[in-house]
Amino acid sequence: MKLGTMFQDVSSSFLRKPVTEKYPFERRTPPTRLRGTLVWDAETCVGCGLCATDCPANALEVFVLDRKEKRFALSYHPDRCTFCAQCVSSCRHGSLAMSNEVWELAALDRTSFTIHFGDETDVELALAGKTASNAEASSE
Amino acid sequence: MASDIIKDLLVSLAAILFFPGGLFLLLCGLLYEWIDRKLLAQLQNRIGPRWFQPLADVIKLLAKEEVVPEEVDARLFIGLPIVALAGGLTAALYVPFAGLAPSHSFNGDLIVTIYLLSLLSLCLGLAGSNTLDRFSLVGATRTLTQLFSYEAPFLLALLGPAFAAGSWQIQEIATYTETRWLLLSQPLGFLVAVIGLMGKLELPPLDAPEAETEIVAGALTEYSGRGLAIFRLSKGVTLILGLTLIAAFYLGGVSNPAFFFLKTIALLLIIVGLKALFARLRIDQSVGLWWRYGTLLVLIQWLGMFLWGGVMT
Amino acid sequence: MEKVQTSRSFTVPIGPQHPALKEPEHFLITVDGEIVTKAVVRLGYAHRGVEKATESRNWVQNIYILERICGICSHIHATAYCLGVEKLAGVEVPPRAQAIRVLVAEMERIHSHLLWLGVAAHEAGFDTLFMYSWRDRETIMDLLESLSGNRVNYSVNLLGGVKFDVDDELARLIYDGIDFLEKRTQHYLDVVTSDAMFLQRTRGIGTMTRSQADVLGTVGPTARASNVYRDIRVEAPYGAYGDFPVKIVLDERGDLEARFVVRIKELFESYRVIREILDNLPAGELSTRMPRRIQEGETVSRVEAPRGELFYFIKSNGTDTPERIKVRTPTICNMMSVVKLAVGHQLADVPMIVVGIDPCFSCNDRMTVVDRGQGQRQGWTWEALRRYGIRHYQRLAR
Repeated sequence: MKLGTMFQDVSSSFLRKPVTEKYPFERRTPPTRLRGTLVWDAETCVGCGLCATDCPANALEVFVLDRKEKRFALSYHPDRCTFCAQCVSSCRHGSLAMSNEVWELAALDRTSFTIHFGDETDVELALAGKTASNAEASSE
Repeated sequence: MASDIIKDLLVSLAAILFFPGGLFLLLCGLLYEWIDRKLLAQLQNRIGPRWFQPLADVIKLLAKEEVVPEEVDARLFIGLPIVALAGGLTAALYVPFAGLAPSHSFNGDLIVTIYLLSLLSLCLGLAGSNTLDRFSLVGATRTLTQLFSYEAPFLLALLGPAFAAGSWQIQEIATYTETRWLLLSQPLGFLVAVIGLMGKLELPPLDAPEAETEIVAGALTEYSGRGLAIFRLSKGVTLILGLTLIAAFYLGGVSNPAFFFLKTIALLLIIVGLKALFARLRIDQSVGLWWRYGTLLVLIQWLGMFLWGGVMT
Repeated sequence: MEKVQTSRSFTVPIGPQHPALKEPEHFLITVDGEIVTKAVVRLGYAHRGVEKATESRNWVQNIYILERICGICSHIHATAYCLGVEKLAGVEVPPRAQAIRVLVAEMERIHSHLLWLGVAAHEAGFDTLFMYSWRDRETIMDLLESLSGNRVNYSVNLLGGVKFDVDDELARLIYDGIDFLEKRTQHYLDVVTSDAMFLQRTRGIGTMTRSQADVLGTVGPTARASNVYRDIRVEAPYGAYGDFPVKIVLDERGDLEARFVVRIKELFESYRVIREILDNLPAGELSTRMPRRIQEGETVSRVEAPRGELFYFIKSNGTDTPERIKVRTPTICNMMSVVKLAVGHQLADVPMIVVGIDPCFSCNDRMTVVDRGQGQRQGWTWEALRRYGIRHYQRLAR
């Protein structure tokens, strides 16, 4: 039975700098494995769509425009993403990775929450196809 | 002639409203609250609030709507915080604050001051029992229980220096202690006085009356806007007056403003250290602490004083 | 709000919104003065429909929804699920993956127990201990982040293995962190067993005898603090616990102090196991191939979460989505002990007793009762439920 067993901690803290990090002003270097935003490598993708199937948050959409020509587009929704990296593991060709540099994803408008990967014309085509299929679905 | 009277009136009004009473006292209370929070944070290895945080809190609370609960005596609900603050401000008249002589003084004002300071706990207790909220009721019961337990030892501890000085007038005691550190001759009394002040202000480890993990905010649970702000201000005033009294009585006087701040802040550091070191006591444990140890310590102190007095003569 | 009863006893509601509880749960405490005469708990405020949600997602997606049942012991939920599914599929997971799973599970236990130490200290009004234990907990959080890339939902598990490897550099980081934490943990053990003021709040409070612990069906450290020999890691070793055995930590006293001691001593055991795993990490693959469709069948998977036994029932119908997943978290097993133990104690001790079981309310809510006021409840008796089940399956069979 003692009184004030934490005296050592308390007295040594008196002259110590607080451990609290002043986050936006002081930043630590993120660990190399940090799971930030998704990065897609169009070269190796085969458009199998397994990443989109396994995504628990439906944050990925894969558009296959032409399998032979290897024309694919990918829509990524960081706002839905849970950063579990299952897509990275599911991809058999290593086309997906998670950045450890881009991870501060908060934004004031919604446009930054949909990221389109792929050739610009391909993305436009894919989105046009998507709206068309949506229209079809709603007319049915 | 008439201009002299008006001038006098203005000066006393200014003294009551701005300096050294009133506004200055309130701001000092907020400053000490900030020092308290900042020191505690430092001891816990945290950063703590910025200097204007207590003021910002009070301004925010003053701006908020005050919700008067149903089935509550509204006059009492609104009046009690004002009475508590008025008690603190009135007590300030008899206390040598910030190195200045007290503006009023009469024989026996020590007792009046101590009871004016107790008005805070009393108002808290009444405010809690005024509402139907169960947390408030439990908190009020605990506040009053604690009041009855710490009050006697605290009073005895402050009467020690009065006994040594042979006067019950704060001004005279303060003059007497100006050259003497009663801390050395009455260490037990000092200890009880400091812990008594913590009990009065419901600071940890004696914060059972407002233990947030048990009864939310205790007696103040139903207070939201202006009332809460005024209660907080009066706590600040009580804190600073209590510190002043103890520093004046035990730490060799506070007639120099620099010494006043130095000594009261040193005292605050001791209180913050105690806050950081101990776990909260249950209400029965703190009552036991006061009656079993607190009172006993003061009585030993008094016995020592009588014996010493006998030896000296 | 109900009116306070006129008799000497009245009721104090703790929760669903209350500073002592970080999650919604309702305890209705009847007190006579300060003494608790009756305690009632109402569960179901954080029912999230997780079990039903798993039935519309495929086996892979379910790892992540189940991982989010608990924010603190996330890894162990995914582990229990993956072990169960792998057993159903008859897949052998490489030993290195098993070892890494156990490694992360033990690191998670450290993080969970240190978190609990802080929360329990805060309930006792000992904020200094709270701040320091959480400060030191950052060490293990940083290690977990370096290992997996995330501080809370590590997502280390895959069906058939793990995602992340432990290399030499990381192992060195973990060794260093564990060394630091071991020193601090020794200090905290000293504090909780010798600080006079803190012991006033823990010694002899909420004492649960061995027979009570058995009858109330408690699990985990709560049971072990009452000297009940119950630890899945020891009794039915899963994953790599067969190769890296854990010694069970028991205490005879059964009070709050014993629960502190058991949890802190378990930390030493975790440090030892982590060192052992890092010393003898089996070489080999990290994962193995897993079929998309799991063959028909049902299985039970039991693991030891930081709070006690975690139970998964998994049923597959041969498709790529599960037919039924039932989760029973340790908190629900320990909940009745709170209600039982609170009686006779002071109101001030109730938060301490609640926290003593290390509750995780959102994890345990599997059903909810909607009361429309005026006592209009609709409930199922066991017999009615059984009859409904028989009718349901007869209809299906036809």
